[in-house]
Amino acid sequence: MTSNNAMIEFAGVNKFYGSYHALNNINAIVPQGEVVIVCGPSGSGKSTLIRTVNRLENIQSGKITVNGIDTQSEGINVNKMRSQIGFVFQQFNLFPHLSALENVSLGLIKVQHLSKGQAQEIAQGLLNRVGLEHKVNAFPGELSGGQQQRVAIARALSQNPPVMLFDEPTSALDPEMVGEVLAVMRELAAEGMTMMCVTHEMGFARDVANKVWFMDQGQILEESTPEEFFKSPKTERASKFLSDIR
Amino acid sequence: MIDILQNYWLLLLVGQFPNGPLGGLAMTLILAVCGIGLAFPCSIAIALALTSPFRALRASAQALVYIVRGLPLLMFIFWAYFAIPALLGTSVPGVVTMLFALVIYESVYLAEVIRGGIQALPAGQTEAARAMGLTHLQTQRIVVLPQVLYNVLPSILSQFISTIKETSLGYVISVNELTFAANQVNSILLTRPFDVYLLLAIIYFTLCFILTSCVRLLELRVERGRKSLRLKTQ
Repeated sequence: MTSNNAMIEFAGVNKFYGSYHALNNINAIVPQGEVVIVCGPSGSGKSTLIRTVNRLENIQSGKITVNGIDTQSEGINVNKMRSQIGFVFQQFNLFPHLSALENVSLGLIKVQHLSKGQAQEIAQGLLNRVGLEHKVNAFPGELSGGQQQRVAIARALSQNPPVMLFDEPTSALDPEMVGEVLAVMRELAAEGMTMMCVTHEMGFARDVANKVWFMDQGQILEESTPEEFFKSPKTERASKFLSDIR
Repeated sequence: MIDILQNYWLLLLVGQFPNGPLGGLAMTLILAVCGIGLAFPCSIAIALALTSPFRALRASAQALVYIVRGLPLLMFIFWAYFAIPALLGTSVPGVVTMLFALVIYESVYLAEVIRGGIQALPAGQTEAARAMGLTHLQTQRIVVLPQVLYNVLPSILSQFISTIKETSLGYVISVNELTFAANQVNSILLTRPFDVYLLLAIIYFTLCFILTSCVRLLELRVERGRKSLRLKTQ
């Protein structure tokens, strides 16, 4: 695999919290059009890793390239770079004082400078796509967790980013709502969206992932296809992890 | 005491108005409303500086807060009383002087209230805004402040109540407000200071008690609003 078709490339990435080594020499590639699932025990650095991609977390050394753009370079327009990376949070983080439609159209209006009409038309289309055409004017407080997360996915898609990051998108949901969110994500993957997803949903990983990264103590210990990873994990820590979550 | 109220209610309410300057309770309320009203935009600016990513801006705002909070309001009133005419070269009405001192003092206290509100907002709100590409200032204006100002509304009203009481300090520079009016009544009657100042206390207390009850109601509403994260207003 050449790095030409890499959507995200980590090269020698290190991150410290004080003296704690949170990310330890990460070298990895998320190829264009593929789905990478990041899993591992809590505290292993999964969320930290995914948050370094759009610089919600800074790194101390190394290089992260997204869609050909060096995200760490000086003089880069961070806001423009971020607008081209969809990010979905564990806690949804919808803006509670704005309606679903306003949440989704905000970036189009304020970052892409579309007119309100154009932006809301696109937002309407995205809300249809995640099955929430009837909740356009609802406020986040009126929506279930699953519905909120689907609005959040629509919001992350709004500026038409070439890559989507998901940081434990179903972990804060009641079990009966996990399915509706995963369904939207499956659809996205089927449409060829490049996705990097931190999750504990191993069924989803098995069905959708092209690659699984297993992390522990700030390192990527394993990088394999889901078949390999679930059938015969290479490291003892991965097999312990798999037996623990079953 | 009732007879004092019967004879002097107009003086206590509006001073010598309309035959002389406006004063009394009306001026007390005007001072408090204008004081908080003008301090409000200043306090937002100071709060944004306090939470700014720029260290120099943060440090200077912090210094301002420390200085103002470490000094009594009365001192600001004296400073304004002597400094403003010296700087402008003309005399300035006592009301303007008092307002100036109040605005400086209240903007710092309000700024601390708003800063607290900004820091209490879940970090995810800012992260989500930044992740979609909004700038720091856009994030503050569109995402953070609308939520924070709603959440701290009760505290802002509390500060308004404090301000009502603080306007009584205007007496020392002869601002024609409620305490000043009460003192005038006392000077006329000469022999009944306890009645006059009890009446004054009752007026302040009633006003502040009513407003404090409003704050409590508002707190309940905001609490409910925050819990349901906005159920109405469509």
